[in-house]
Amino acid sequence: MQGLLLISIGLPAVAGILLLVLAFSEHLRAVGGTGVKHMRLYLFVSVMLVASVLLATTAAWTGDNSVVLFRLIESIPVYFRVDEVGRFFITIVSVIWLAVGLYSVPYMKHEGGEKRYYGFFLLSYGVLTGFVYAGNLITMYLFYELITLVSMPLVLHNGTREAVTAARKYLFYSLCGAYGGLFGIFFLYRYCGSLDFMMGGTLDAAAVRGHEGILLMVVFVMLMGFGVKAGMLPFHAWLPAAHSVAPSPASAMLSAVIVKAGVIAIVRVVFYVIGTDFLRGTWVQYLWMTLALLTVFMGSMLAYRERGFKKRLAYSTVSQVSYILYGLSLLTSEAMAGALFHVAAHGLIKCGLFLTAGVFLYRFGYTRVEELEGLGKEMPKVMWCYTLFALGLVGIPPTCGFISKWYLAQGSLHSEIPVFSWLGPVVLLVSALLTAGYLLPITIKGFFPGEEKSRENRKVHSGEEVCQGKEIASSMLIPLLVLAVLVLVLGIFPITLFK
Amino acid sequence: MDFVCNFPFISIILSLFSGPLCSILPGKWAKRVNGIVIIVVGILSAFVLAYVTGTGEAFIYRMGHFPAPWGNEIRIGVLEAFMGLFFCVIMLLCMVAGVREREAQIEESKQNLYYVMVNLLLCSLLALIYTNDLFTAYVFVEINTISACGLIMIRQNGRTIEAATRYMIMSLLGSGLLLLGICFLYDLTGHLLMSNIKEQVHILAQTGQYHIPLMVSVGLISVGLAMKSALYPFHAWLPDAYGYSTLSSAAILSSLVSKGYIFLLIKVFYRVVGFEILTGSKVANVLFVFGIVGMIMGSINAIQEEQITRMIAYSSVAQIGYIYMGIGLATQEGMVASIYHVISHGATKSLLFVAASGLAAASAGRTSRELVGSGYRNKLAGIAFTVGSLSMVGMPMFSGFISKLFFAQAAVGHAHKMLPTFIALAISTVLNAAYFMKMVICIYSPRYGGDTTGENTIVGRVVFMKEQPVKSVALICFIVLNVVLGLNSEPIIRLIQKGLAMFG
Amino acid sequence: MSFGNLFSNYEEAVAMILFGIGFSNLLLQKNLIKKIIGLNIMDTATYLFLALKGYIEGRKAPVVVDGVQSVEAYVNPIPSGLVLTGIVVSVSVTALMLSLTIRLYRRYHTLDLDEISTQLKKEGK
Repeated sequence: MQGLLLISIGLPAVAGILLLVLAFSEHLRAVGGTGVKHMRLYLFVSVMLVASVLLATTAAWTGDNSVVLFRLIESIPVYFRVDEVGRFFITIVSVIWLAVGLYSVPYMKHEGGEKRYYGFFLLSYGVLTGFVYAGNLITMYLFYELITLVSMPLVLHNGTREAVTAARKYLFYSLCGAYGGLFGIFFLYRYCGSLDFMMGGTLDAAAVRGHEGILLMVVFVMLMGFGVKAGMLPFHAWLPAAHSVAPSPASAMLSAVIVKAGVIAIVRVVFYVIGTDFLRGTWVQYLWMTLALLTVFMGSMLAYRERGFKKRLAYSTVSQVSYILYGLSLLTSEAMAGALFHVAAHGLIKCGLFLTAGVFLYRFGYTRVEELEGLGKEMPKVMWCYTLFALGLVGIPPTCGFISKWYLAQGSLHSEIPVFSWLGPVVLLVSALLTAGYLLPITIKGFFPGEEKSRENRKVHSGEEVCQGKEIASSMLIPLLVLAVLVLVLGIFPITLFK
Repeated sequence: MDFVCNFPFISIILSLFSGPLCSILPGKWAKRVNGIVIIVVGILSAFVLAYVTGTGEAFIYRMGHFPAPWGNEIRIGVLEAFMGLFFCVIMLLCMVAGVREREAQIEESKQNLYYVMVNLLLCSLLALIYTNDLFTAYVFVEINTISACGLIMIRQNGRTIEAATRYMIMSLLGSGLLLLGICFLYDLTGHLLMSNIKEQVHILAQTGQYHIPLMVSVGLISVGLAMKSALYPFHAWLPDAYGYSTLSSAAILSSLVSKGYIFLLIKVFYRVVGFEILTGSKVANVLFVFGIVGMIMGSINAIQEEQITRMIAYSSVAQIGYIYMGIGLATQEGMVASIYHVISHGATKSLLFVAASGLAAASAGRTSRELVGSGYRNKLAGIAFTVGSLSMVGMPMFSGFISKLFFAQAAVGHAHKMLPTFIALAISTVLNAAYFMKMVICIYSPRYGGDTTGENTIVGRVVFMKEQPVKSVALICFIVLNVVLGLNSEPIIRLIQKGLAMFG
Repeated sequence: MSFGNLFSNYEEAVAMILFGIGFSNLLLQKNLIKKIIGLNIMDTATYLFLALKGYIEGRKAPVVVDGVQSVEAYVNPIPSGLVLTGIVVSVSVTALMLSLTIRLYRRYHTLDLDEISTQLKKEGK
C-alpha cells in the first residue's frame, strides 16, 4: 500500500512534466491555430487525471499509510502520511480538479497553449497531493514551495504585461511568506521533539521553558508567513492581482484550492506541531483573531467597491478565507470543524463562481459587473447556478455555506474568549450582509435589467462553434451543475463531511 | 609510505609544468594538454581521496624529504583530497562549457596563453589546498592572483582591463596584509609549518604571552584573505570582472578562485591558530558582521542590476557573505555549513554563468529586456538557469537549501548570533528570490509587455542542443551535480566533518 | 605600554609606518603609477620587517666564505630566503600592474582609475 501513496503523487506529476516537455518542444513551431484537433491530448489528460484522482482517493481512504521517500539529511526525511486532514482535503481537491478539468476543454481551446496549461494543471494536482499527504514540516515546506512554483505559470498563462506583473507579485509574496514559515521551522527544529505531525503538537516542554516569548514570536511569524498564501490582511495584495488575470479555470483552482494550502499549513503548524495549549490565551491568538476579523471585514468592503467581476470574486476570497482563519484562531474543536467545513464549502462555491465568471468572459468577453445586466434571459441555467453559489457564499440555509458559518458562530460564542466571542459573530454577520450586497445584485440585474437592454448590442465573443445555439457548451455547464448540486447536498446532509 | 602519497605532489608539479608547456604549443594542442592535465589531476585526487578515506588519517608528504621544522610539507586529509577532486571537476566542466566563447573572444595568437593561466591556476589552487607551509601558501596565493588576473584580461576590452586592474589592486592590498600577518606569526613562533606554529601558539595561549600580537596577526590574515575573496566592502572589482570576462573565466573565478582563499582561511583557523583561540577572539565576530552585511548588500545590488551576468556576479558577493557568516559563527557546525556552501555555491554559480551565456547566445544581448523568452529559444540553458536559480533561492531538493538549513542549524543555540543569522538568512533569501525569480519569469515570458505592435519583437535565434553538444553535456552534468548535492548531502557532510576532524 | 618600547624597537616601528604609507597609497591614490609605488613601499616595508626579525646583533651574513664556522656565527638565514622569495613575487606583480597600466593608458589616455571608470560608463558597454 505504500507504493500507492507515492504513485498517486508521482503519476500526475510525471504526466504533467511529460506534457510540459511536449509543449516545450512544440513551442517554436508555429502554433497551428485552435482548429487543430487535440483529441489525443484530451484523452491523455483525462485518463491521467481520472487515474490520479482514483489513486489519490484510494490511498486516502484505505487507511493510515506512511512512507519515507528518502532522507534529505539524516534527521530530516521526506515523509508522507495519510491522516484525517489530508483525506478530507484531497477529496475536495479531486472534486474541484475534475470539474475544472472538464470545464477547461472548451475554455482553454479559446485561450491557447493547452499543453502547457494541462501540464501545469496535472503537475499541480500531484504537488497538492504531496502537500496534503506530507508527514512532517520539512516535507510540507518542500511541497508548499512547489505549489507556488507550479501554480505561478497558470497566472502567467497569457503572457501580457499585467499577467507578468501579477505573477511576479504572486511569486514574491508567496516566497516571502514561505520563508517566514521556513524561519519558524528552523526554530522549531530545536524546540520540538520531532517535526513530524502529531495531533496535539510535539513541542518539547523542557526545551521551551524560559524561551516562551521567542517561541510565540516565531509562531506569529509562521502564521503571518503561511497567512500570505491565505490572503490574510497585510499581505493580501497579490490575490486580486493574480486571480483576475489568470484564465478563469485557473482562477477557480487558485481561489478554491491553492489559497487553502496556506490554511492547511497553518492547521498543521498550530494543531499538529505547536499544539493548541501553548497558544491559548496568548497575544498571538488575540492578534491572529484581530487580523482575521479585520480581513473578513476589509475583504468584503473591498469586494463591495470593486467593479471588475473576477476581481470582486478575488476580494471575496480574501474575506472568506479569513472566516476559516478566524475559526482556526479560536482553537476550539467546534470552531475548527466549522473552519474545515468552510474550506470545503468555500472551495466548491468559489470554484463555481469563478467558472461562471469564466462563462461570461468566454461567451461575451465581459469582465465588468455592469456588463452582466440582462444576461439571465440568455443564460438562465448559468445565472441560476450563479445565484445558488451566491446564496451559498452569503450563507442562506439550504446551502453548505450556512452550515459552516453556523458552526463558526457557535464555536465563537462558546469559546469564552472575552470580547471576541461576540465580536466575531457580529463581524461575520456584517460581512455576510456585505457579501449579499456585492453578489446578489448581479442576479437581480441579470434577470431584471430594468430598462430593456438592446440584445443586438451583445456581441458573441467566442465559443460559437462549440455552443451550437445552446446557451453554453455542455462540458462547461455540467461542472457548474455538479458543483451547484454538491453545494446543496452538502448543505442538506452535512453529516457526511463531519466524521 | 604508499605510492599514492606521491600523487598530490605529482598533481601540483604536473599542472605547474604543463603551464610553460602550453606556452610553446599552438592553441589547439594547448587546449588538449590542459584538458588532459585537469582530468589526470582529478583522477589522482580521486585516488588520494580513496586512500585517505581508507586509512582514516591524514598523511604528510615531505618535499625533498627534509624533516619537520626545516623542510616544506604538504599534508592531505579527506577534505583536502575531496576539494582537489571537486575543483578539478568544476574546472573541467567550466572549461568544456566555454570552448566556443573562448575561441570567439580571444585572439588567435593568445589562445594558448589562456591555457597557461588555467594550468597555473589549477596548480596554485591545489597548492593552496594541500600545503602545510604558510609561506608557500602566500607564494601560491600570489600565483593564484596573477593567473586569475590573466583570466580576466585575456578578453581584451576596456571593461576587463579596468576590472583586472581593480582586482589586482584589491588583491595586492589583501596579500600585503596576509604577508604581514604571516611575518608576525613567524616572528612570534619561529616556524612556518602550520603544525609547528600551532604547537607554539598553543603554548603562547596557555602562558598568556603575546596575546595582542597573536590576535593582530590572526586579524591581518583573516582580513587579507577576506579582501582577496571579495567579502562585501572589497567587492568593487567583482561585477565587471565576472560580468565581462569570457565565460569559462567568469565561471572559474566565481566558483573556484575565491573559494581557494576561503579554504585557506579555514585551514589557517584550524591548523595554525587552533579553533579554541579563534572562538575566544573577536576576529570571528568581525567576519560575522561583514558576512551578514555582504549577504544583504550583495543582493540589493543584484536587484538593481539589469544585466544577467552582472546580476549573477553580485549574487556571488551575497553568497560569499553566507560563507563568512558561517565562519563567523565560530562553531564546528558553522564551519561545516560554510564548507558545504563553498561546494554548493561552486557547483551552482558556475552552472548559472554557463546557463546565462547560453541564454545570451539565443538573444540580442544580456539585459533582462533582451532575454525575454530566451528560455524557449535555448531550452537546456533555460532549464539549467531555473535549476540554478532555485538552488540559489534555497528551494528544497537543490543544494542551496541544504546549506541554508545547515547555517540555520549551526546558528540555533548560539547565544548572540542566532537571531541576526536567522534574520539575515530570511532577508537575503527573500532578496535572492526577488531577483532570480524575476529573471526566471523574464526568460519564460513569451513576449514583453504584451505589445502587439511588433516594435519590440525580440531578436534572437534558436539554439538547439545538438548545435553545441559539449556545452549541453556540461550543463547536464552541472544540473545533475546540483540535484545530487541537494538530495544526497549526507555523505558529503560526513566527509566534511571527518575532514575537519583530521585538520586538528 | 610606554613609548619607550616604541623607541627601542624603532626599526619595527619604521617598518610598520612604511607599511601604512604604502597601504594607504595603494588604496587611496587615484593615479595608477602612484598606486604601484605604494604597492612597492608596502612590500618593501614587509621585507624590512622580515629582515629585521632574522637579524641578530653582531653576527655575519649566512654565507660560508672561509671554512665552516659554528652556527652561532651567522644570522638566521630563513628570513633572508623569505625576503628573496617575496621580492621575486613583488617584482612579478609590479610588472603585471605596470603592463596593465600601459594598456589602460593606451586606451583611455589617462592614469586616473576613476576617470577611466567614468569613460567606461560613457561608452555604455
